[in-house]
Amino acid sequence: MTELNLIIAGVGGQGSILASHIVAMAAIDEGLLARVGETFGAAMRGGAVASHVRIGNEVQSPLVPKDGADIVLALEPLEGLRNIVNFLKKDGVLITNIHPWLPVDVNIGRAEYPSMEAIKNAVQSLGGRVVEVDATAVAQEAGNIRTVNSVMLGALAATGELPFSMDALKQAIRDNVPPKTIDANIRAFELGFATMKK
Amino acid sequence: MAKLDDIIIEDTPGKRVLLMGNQAIARGAIEAGLGLAAAYPGTPSSEIMETLATASPKLGFHTEWSTNEKVAFEVAAGGAIAGVRSLTSMKNAGLNWVMDMFMTLVYGGVRGGYVIVVADDPDAHYSSNEQDTRFAAAYAAIPCLEPANAQEAKEMCKYAFDLSERLELPVFIRSVTRISHASGDVELGKIEKRENKPVFDKHWKMGWRWNVYGPPGAVEKHRWLHEQQAKIKQEMENIPWNKLELKPKQTLGIIASGIGASYAKDALKKLGVEEKVAFLKLGTPTPVPEKIVGKMLKSMKKILIVEEGEPIIEMQVNAIAKNVAPEVKILGKQTGALPAIGEINIDIAAQGIAKLTGKTLLPDEAREKTRTGVKKLISPRSSTLCAGCPHLGSYWALKQALRKVGGKVPIVNGDIGCYEQGGYGLSGKEYKPSFATESVRYPIEAPYETLDTNYIMGGGIGLMQGQYHAKYNDGPLVAVAGDSTFFHACIPAVINAVYNKSKGLFLVMDNFITAMTGHQPDPCTGKTVTGEDTKVLNIEDVAKACGVEFIKTVDPFDLKATQQAIEEALKSDKFAVVITSRVCTLQAQRMKQYAAKRMVFNKDVCTGCRLCVALGCPAITFDTKTKKAGIDPILCVGCGICADVCPFGAIKVET
Repeated sequence: MTELNLIIAGVGGQGSILASHIVAMAAIDEGLLARVGETFGAAMRGGAVASHVRIGNEVQSPLVPKDGADIVLALEPLEGLRNIVNFLKKDGVLITNIHPWLPVDVNIGRAEYPSMEAIKNAVQSLGGRVVEVDATAVAQEAGNIRTVNSVMLGALAATGELPFSMDALKQAIRDNVPPKTIDANIRAFELGFATMKK
Repeated sequence: MAKLDDIIIEDTPGKRVLLMGNQAIARGAIEAGLGLAAAYPGTPSSEIMETLATASPKLGFHTEWSTNEKVAFEVAAGGAIAGVRSLTSMKNAGLNWVMDMFMTLVYGGVRGGYVIVVADDPDAHYSSNEQDTRFAAAYAAIPCLEPANAQEAKEMCKYAFDLSERLELPVFIRSVTRISHASGDVELGKIEKRENKPVFDKHWKMGWRWNVYGPPGAVEKHRWLHEQQAKIKQEMENIPWNKLELKPKQTLGIIASGIGASYAKDALKKLGVEEKVAFLKLGTPTPVPEKIVGKMLKSMKKILIVEEGEPIIEMQVNAIAKNVAPEVKILGKQTGALPAIGEINIDIAAQGIAKLTGKTLLPDEAREKTRTGVKKLISPRSSTLCAGCPHLGSYWALKQALRKVGGKVPIVNGDIGCYEQGGYGLSGKEYKPSFATESVRYPIEAPYETLDTNYIMGGGIGLMQGQYHAKYNDGPLVAVAGDSTFFHACIPAVINAVYNKSKGLFLVMDNFITAMTGHQPDPCTGKTVTGEDTKVLNIEDVAKACGVEFIKTVDPFDLKATQQAIEEALKSDKFAVVITSRVCTLQAQRMKQYAAKRMVFNKDVCTGCRLCVALGCPAITFDTKTKKAGIDPILCVGCGICADVCPFGAIKVET
């Protein structure tokens, strides 16, 4: 394995940065190099957030190059679209939660939210493919609506593209989520994994 | 991997962990046996102090959020003069505040290691400018270190303390957003146990060492600083991060420093030309190691300089080349090989390298066309104040008051903090340049169109006084600032307004915390950086002590009272201070200070007037098809101010 370039996108408060740190920690624990570049706006809730994760034996800088992401993991569909347009590889994959978090611009009628169909077509027009996950529903099933990030990590692990073990990833989740939510997050991770295998 | 609070103080050399650049810098200082640190919050630098503060009670060193960067710089300098290893950290703009002490401290230097960490922000992600503070290190004639990743950030910070003590001068570490706010694998080193015993000798190695006016005086101390330059030059040749990779027959080369070197390495690999190009990685962009640079230049025909910010290395390399290899072609920001503004990335570095190797990288035009089409689908996600933010109330009341007593064209001067979003404008709305010769009033559709001027911390209240003394007469004058900004930079300006008989409204939006940079405590929070209880300073008391005669403190959730106070202030013939006082909504939620209220929206009563939308709260929705407003139940925190905004009673608080 030479390199994995991953972008985890979402809305401030969904835990996309934490998810990216979990992936990077698991990689480091298994002897790889990892770089995480966080791109976000002002320190506010509800803003667009994207975290670039680069894993490999030789990675240097923290930002995924243009058309360089093997996978875009989107905790929110619009944020998935915002990131695939510049970063998804021609044969890359967008794994996206299907539950939108409407931006204020849409809420007040200044802009339109793209349909899931339009998002899928857009990804395909750029050569990629889309995997949809109802992560919000799965998180509810796991017993904690705030575990969407762990559901999506489960879906990510199910692709088999991660260059490290599931155990390392689960351990990184245990080490990093609030102690009271460890069980719910592990359950969410496993349900997310199972959803993809169905 | 264990929790960060534990990792940061763990003495387990060789262990590999994930650290954010800022955490790595803090760890480096801890490994060096830090004795004291002081800082003022500023993105992207704040996590350095936040990380140090988690460790300081356990390891016994002092940490503090100072009232501003200048005070922080002096506190840390005081520690270093007394022989204790000290650190200060700040964002790019913070350095502008410390220049007075910075330029003078170097005349006598320090006794204990003094490390100054500045996090620049190329691309101005979180800042009002893109300034490159490496020039300040050159200006002060001290060495500047620039890490290329988190591991180097830790190593360099540790090394900088030793270097500082060898040179008896402060050492500057220049970080950037992509170092400070990026994370990477870091191998921990040993934590040095230091006694950090304070000592004081006023004539240490030089008469009146710590008093520039004491004999032999400032000019002789300037001579000493110049004599130190030879030592600095020597050190630069031996710094472990200045590393030349030069193979026989290579005639093309790259000189790169910091994050620029990381991008350049990745880009070389992407283009598959690693073997063709010699590489000088610099850890010290100023001063550059002249001998190493000279050695490289002698075998080169063409080189590219990759650096983040201004062409400071490029200027030095050009000067060296004139003497040792005048025929070498030097590409960089000055020649247009790399853009002069914004930040670099792998793709931009690759473009520069293509110019070096004589290749052309053509864009895939069909793909670019598809991309343009897709981009049209992407709705913006505008930055807003939070649902339930007290500033929403302050801005609403200000807008109403200005409508009533605002004259022809009021001027609202902004400042730095969450409330600066009052000048971010509305996404998708076009703001055309105007060439009017008379004052022009523009409508305020949302709070985000309120602030007419905004530059720096504490800048607004000074600008307002200039507008008054310039005899601006087309409307009332207003300046806004938050609590942390008030203590940081506004107090001398308040005194100036009283002393020089200025008029106007100074609206202080007090939310009891430094909210925008991540909720750091400030002098009116009642907590120190480590969470210890401390005295609460009251802004009204301070303003009173500064001689302000018109002062009113109101609750910004009480829109009527706030509007009335602002109107009275605008009509007053005195310099007036209105303080809108309420805890930041995120902090209030965290501390469970909200009474759980629920808003009820009656669609039948809603006329679609959009007044509630103009409040600017992200929890307010508007359906363009039914022409009805609504409330997003997930975002709404039940603050209730929208109920007071709706003139038709469509919004009610459920009791």
